Parts: sequence; C-alpha cells; structure tokens
Amino acid sequence: MRNGLTPEQDATAAELALGVLEGEERAEAQRLCLADPAFAAAVEDWRLQLGVLHETVADEPPPSGVWSAIDARLEMANSAETVSKLRFWRRSAWASSAVAAALAAALLFPGTPDVRTVVLPPAQSAIAQLNGEAGAILAASYTPQAGQLQIRPVDLPDSKLSPELWLIPADGVPRSLGLIGTTGTTKIDVPLALRAYLTDGAVLAVSLERAETAPHKAPTSTPIAVGKISTI
Amino acid sequence: MLDPDPFAANRARLVVALSRTAGGDRSALREVYDLTAGKLFGICLRICRDREAAEDVLQDVYLKIWNRAGRFDAGRASPITWLSAIARNASIDWVRANATSGTAGAPELTDWQSAATSEELGAFETLEAAQTRKRLERCLDQLGPQQGGAIRAAFLEGFTHRELAARLSVPLGTMKSLVRRGLLHLRECLGDA
Repeated sequence: MRNGLTPEQDATAAELALGVLEGEERAEAQRLCLADPAFAAAVEDWRLQLGVLHETVADEPPPSGVWSAIDARLEMANSAETVSKLRFWRRSAWASSAVAAALAAALLFPGTPDVRTVVLPPAQSAIAQLNGEAGAILAASYTPQAGQLQIRPVDLPDSKLSPELWLIPADGVPRSLGLIGTTGTTKIDVPLALRAYLTDGAVLAVSLERAETAPHKAPTSTPIAVGKISTI
Repeated sequence: MLDPDPFAANRARLVVALSRTAGGDRSALREVYDLTAGKLFGICLRICRDREAAEDVLQDVYLKIWNRAGRFDAGRASPITWLSAIARNASIDWVRANATSGTAGAPELTDWQSAATSEELGAFETLEAAQTRKRLERCLDQLGPQQGGAIRAAFLEGFTHRELAARLSVPLGTMKSLVRRGLLHLRECLGDA
C-alpha cells in the first residue's frame, strides 16, 4: 500500500497520525518524518484517511459572539498587522514544548503552529526565530534581493558537533543550507534553486551534525531548534 | 433516480470561498465560517470538553484558516477534511497545554459506533468520499467496540495511549498493542478493498 514501508513502519505512521504517541515514541516518529519522505507521506495518508471520520461528529452551532471576536481580531490584524501577528502566534504557541512536536506540526498537515514566529521591525523581508526545547535560540533574516540569509545563534548548547541549517518547505523534505557558526552572524548565499522555498510557512531548522561530512543529504539527529518563516 | 452528488454545490461554494479567503477577502472568510462553524465547533467541543475553551479555540481556528487558506489544495484533500484537521490540531494543542493531571472527572469513551451518523451523507461529502468513510467504518466495526472504539476515540477526541488506557482501565502496554494491532488490521482491511 505504501512505498517502501514495512507494515510495522506504516503502523507507526498511523499511530502518529492518530495522535496516540507521547514523549520519546512521538519524538522518534517525528524524527522519522523528517528523515524519511516515504514515512512522512504515509503519515499524511493516514491523516487524510482517518480524517473522513470527522463526518461522524455532530454539528454544534457556536454562539454568535465567536464570529464578532474573529472579526475584531481580523480588524486588528488589518490595522496593525505586525502587532496582531505577534499576538496571534503567541496565543497559538501553546504547546511549544518539544522541538519535534513543532516540526511535525509545521510539516505534516495544516498542522498546529506551535512553532513560534516573532516578527521583528520591518528592515528585512523575511524573518524567523528558531527555538528549541533545550533553550537553543537563533535569529534569522532573509533578503530576497540579495538571495542572502543571515543567521545568528543567540544561545546554543555546547557540543562537539556543528550546527547545520535546514530549510524545510511544504513538501517536508529538509534541504541543507550548510553549517553555520556557533557565534556571530553567518551569511549564507542561498542557492538559486532553494530561494523560492523561503516563503511564509516554510520552516528553518538546526540540527547538530558532523562537520567533516557536511553538507548532508538529510539530518541525522533531532533538530535542536526550529522556526517558521514570516515575510514582513 | 438519486442525485449522485447532492452536495456538489455546497462543496464548490466552500472551495470558492476558501480561495477568495486566500486572496484576503474577509466576506469570504465569513462565508467559510457560516458554512463550517457548526462542524468545526463540534470537533473543538468534542476534544476540548470545555465550552469556553472550545469557543476560544474556534476563534483561533478561523484565524488560522485566514492565514493558511492559500495552502489549501483541492486536489489533495476535501475542503471539510482540511478544515477539520485544523480544528482538531488546534483543539489537541489546547488540551495538551491545559492538561489537568490524571484523568479525574474525565468522561467515559463516547460510543462512536452507535453515535455515528454513518448512513447519512455529510453536508460536503461526495458519494465517493462517503464510500471511503463507510469502508473505514466497516473496517473499524470489524475490530469490535473496544479496539475500534479506542481508535475512533483517539482520533475524534484526541486521546493518547495513556489516556485511552486510563479510560478503558487496561494496562498501558495492553492499550498500545491493542491500538497497534487495530491499525495493522485497518491497513489490511483498507488495502483489500
């Protein structure tokens, strides 16, 4: 049924889609999603397949105040887009615990944005803040005119390995943007082929990798920080 | 003769409204809301189990739809499945962030089997989608009320292995293998058809 997956792997994909996994099991399944496009595709297949069950949930009319509140928030967004975006993302940064959770959320489906996005002053045209569970923080900005991405670690865990930056567009497949420095600003000339992916909703992630063999085809470890790109 | 696709117009209206929403048209979002708020609120309420929270989550859901409408791909998912997934994920986020310890006061698993309106066509459902759903429901029914019910509850109410185990009063390991074997059965069952 699914390309290249054993029934056991496919069942794990189904468990992730079903949402029954927690903790280490969940993180492991999410790591697989990043590393294995076939697995990620199976998870999405299961989500769509199980999604038809929503038809069995009875409708419940919401109170009329809900639309007015939505309308007011849209109005706010209209008049002060930056401020409201910040508020919106903060509000939805509820479950911002596991990095892996954030990634899966961003990648798998119209998932949950528990990836934090912070909008900075409008000097750059695309920005992202990358956060991780262990406290890693990185700030990134991208200037499309120059095709240049700048990234600066604010806080990184100590490691013998080197931070490697990944761009993960909607297809969920990580593309390496190469190693980045552990301090100061690293400037990256984004390859032409990848520039189109640097748009709203794409994800930047940093994982710790062996420097000698970089850039890699795929991350070998769970990302230490992830963040969603916002254009401003 | 039966109309082969009685809700085609509904669905088309929703797809158009979504694409206008993607273009930044607020009246289009209102239309999406009018068409779907009942369904999505039902989903939020079922998972959050708290009316006030579900109302807050529903607000966020439509703001998400506003921001993401451009990413909806009618070729890949039905609009209502796509929207329902947003509502489900947002609700699960809320539950995880506001989880009270333990399962005190938690209601029993809903009996989805008898609650299911399985013979009726959903308001946006194609006959084909309904057949897919009925096939899935038949496969779930084959598993029996405990195993099939657990899988339904996990999806529709957002329960994890641990929560399912607590509610069904079985050990965690038993619950895990119950769900896993159930999913393997589904895989076979859906693959066969």
